[in-house]
Amino acid sequence: MPDLAIEIDRITKSFAGHTAVKDLSLSVPKGAVYGLLGPNGAGKTTTIRMILDILEPDSGSIRILGRPHTDHGITDRIGYLPEERGLYKKMQVRRVLRFLAALKGVEAREADARITKWMERLELRTAEKDWGTAKVDELSRGMQQKVQFIGTLLHEPELVILDEPFSGLDPINAQALKDIVVDLKRQGRTVIFSTHLMESAERLCDSVCIIAHGEKVLDGGLTEVKSRHGGRFVALALADGAAAATPVLRDPALVKRADDSNRTLEVELAPGAEPQTLLERLVDAGARIDRFELVQPSLHRIFLDAVGAKGVEEGVTGHG
Amino acid sequence: MAKLWAVIRREYMERVRSRWFLVATVFGPVLLGILLILPPLLALRTKASEDAANIRILDATGTGLGDRIAAAMPRTPSAPMPQVFNVAPGSLTAAESTATHAVVRNDVRGYLVLDAKTLAGDSARYAGRNASSIGDMEMLTTIVRRSVVLTRLEQAHVDSATAARLAEIRPKLATERLNERGRGGSGMVNAFAGFGIAFLLYMTIVLYGQTVLRGVIEEKNTRVAEVVVASVPTDTLLAGKVLGVGAVGITQQVIWLVTGFVMAKLRAPVLTALGAKADPVSFPPVSPASLLVLVLFFVLGYVFYSSLFAAVGAMVNNEQDAQQASMPVILLLITPMLFLQTILVNPASRTAEVLSWLPFSAPIIMPLRMVSSSVPWMEVGLTILGVLTACGVAVWLAARIYRVGLLMYGKRPSLSELGRWIRASR
Repeated sequence: MPDLAIEIDRITKSFAGHTAVKDLSLSVPKGAVYGLLGPNGAGKTTTIRMILDILEPDSGSIRILGRPHTDHGITDRIGYLPEERGLYKKMQVRRVLRFLAALKGVEAREADARITKWMERLELRTAEKDWGTAKVDELSRGMQQKVQFIGTLLHEPELVILDEPFSGLDPINAQALKDIVVDLKRQGRTVIFSTHLMESAERLCDSVCIIAHGEKVLDGGLTEVKSRHGGRFVALALADGAAAATPVLRDPALVKRADDSNRTLEVELAPGAEPQTLLERLVDAGARIDRFELVQPSLHRIFLDAVGAKGVEEGVTGHG
Repeated sequence: MAKLWAVIRREYMERVRSRWFLVATVFGPVLLGILLILPPLLALRTKASEDAANIRILDATGTGLGDRIAAAMPRTPSAPMPQVFNVAPGSLTAAESTATHAVVRNDVRGYLVLDAKTLAGDSARYAGRNASSIGDMEMLTTIVRRSVVLTRLEQAHVDSATAARLAEIRPKLATERLNERGRGGSGMVNAFAGFGIAFLLYMTIVLYGQTVLRGVIEEKNTRVAEVVVASVPTDTLLAGKVLGVGAVGITQQVIWLVTGFVMAKLRAPVLTALGAKADPVSFPPVSPASLLVLVLFFVLGYVFYSSLFAAVGAMVNNEQDAQQASMPVILLLITPMLFLQTILVNPASRTAEVLSWLPFSAPIIMPLRMVSSSVPWMEVGLTILGVLTACGVAVWLAARIYRVGLLMYGKRPSLSELGRWIRASR
């Protein structure tokens, strides 16, 4: 058994008549980047809140870094970025950060040094301008998000939990956050993030867990999940539309399913069909091919297959 | 413990640093100073005016009453003395209309009519431009009364020296409160002090209770609550908030009380310098023990109400909703204030007693009663016990509502939902 950052054993949580999380078990290895994936309302935030001891599970147990999650001082080792982000609007940035650090037990002088370091890294403190003395509501939204990242990481947590970290981020901040996640992993810290954006998850995660309706659908390492999903996939890009290729792609003997995302098609081959045959048929049909590549199923595909089986709720946005 | 301290420090520092705190803390003493200095200065204005003696006296009594009054009028170098017209009773009407013309022409300020009725002790009449000046009229009334008495005494053949001595009276009512321990200082002073303390307690509880309420709503609205409760148990957060804001309240009160005390001490010298007569402000005798009890009542009252306000804050999402939802709490708080006047008039009444026992009004009314009348220590002790119990219940309820409500958004909970929140473990 490898060292586990989080070990959840059959937790269940109900609210006034509906079950938000049902019998969920999962293990997050130490040092991993772990994706908690699921459509909106799947129970991701509830699970995270239970890990953080904000909510108490009706049944089941949670262990963090080898200790029960209710242990004194355990929350000081976790950094948490909630989905709904916010700070005290009327406080000066540096004071907010000092407060957040103090809540995690970081000593004031140490906190100040770290704040300066982080603010410089995220360009909130430059030669011309120090935003530390500005009030939070004088900052742009993007800057406030940066301040919030800093607040999450000031106490150098061993375990970082990010709830929908990419929602509402502009591309620059999204990139900054990805860099931070990669950095954290390099430092040996464990990062868990929940998302419904499969592309970011696919790029960042070592392991994933997909949940729907409060229940686990599948979990495991990304490569393992992909190989377990089975099937052979071809990423296909056609130069001049799909018109010529359509009859070929509709042949059930050859193609099980073709997912058209406009510029690229994800084609799952029918059992027994050879990619070579597909290529020949496409060329024969007169389609002009830009890209033809054997690929593993995308996380997006796996997600749709897995969650689709459970019935996707309204509002699901599988693609990002 | 370190976390509780961090929360308290944030609540305290952010508020004490705010401009609002600065304004209120400075404005309080300034207002108090105005209240202390202005009334005596205004009272100066109600003293008789300089030229109050510039009147015409129409004397139809035939006893020299008019001359006597004229002689008693205060003399000022600038103003002319009263003109005394001895008229026959029959020609009084004509004399009055001439006098009216004189007033209209501004020759005199007014005229005083003395007739048989005046001597009988019934009435005298005055008409003039300064008829609405309280100071002038009071002076005139006093002089007329005295002169009438003197005239009557003379008519009774009392010699003028004795008459003057007999007519000299300066009635002034000195009031003093008595209790079972003997004299307890001036009754008025105690009533004022009682009112002042009750009002100060009420104001502070309302002000800072609402501050707690707004603080909770702010944390909900800005969604900062979730970050904080991921690091701190909600009970600690609630306690820190209530204590931090309470410390701000105490800071402000101490500043107010100290400056108030200094100003009250300075009042007499300042007024004397301004030329007004000033009695030194006397303070009700308060023993250190009762002062301690006073502070205890304030702290308990504040904790009781602010935790209820915090619970209300956790139930709602914006200040409009908060106004409605905090109505029950406000009503509890206002009840003692509605009876304040009744209680001030008679601090020993049954109403006063009952309101000083009930936990929700005791923090305001008990200190008032203690200052303005005397309350057995036994009774005070039992009341404190009651308030402590109520505080415990309020804090327990508030902590449970707060814990669930803080991360709940959407519509306000119904009473049955609220019951579920209270029963829910977490």
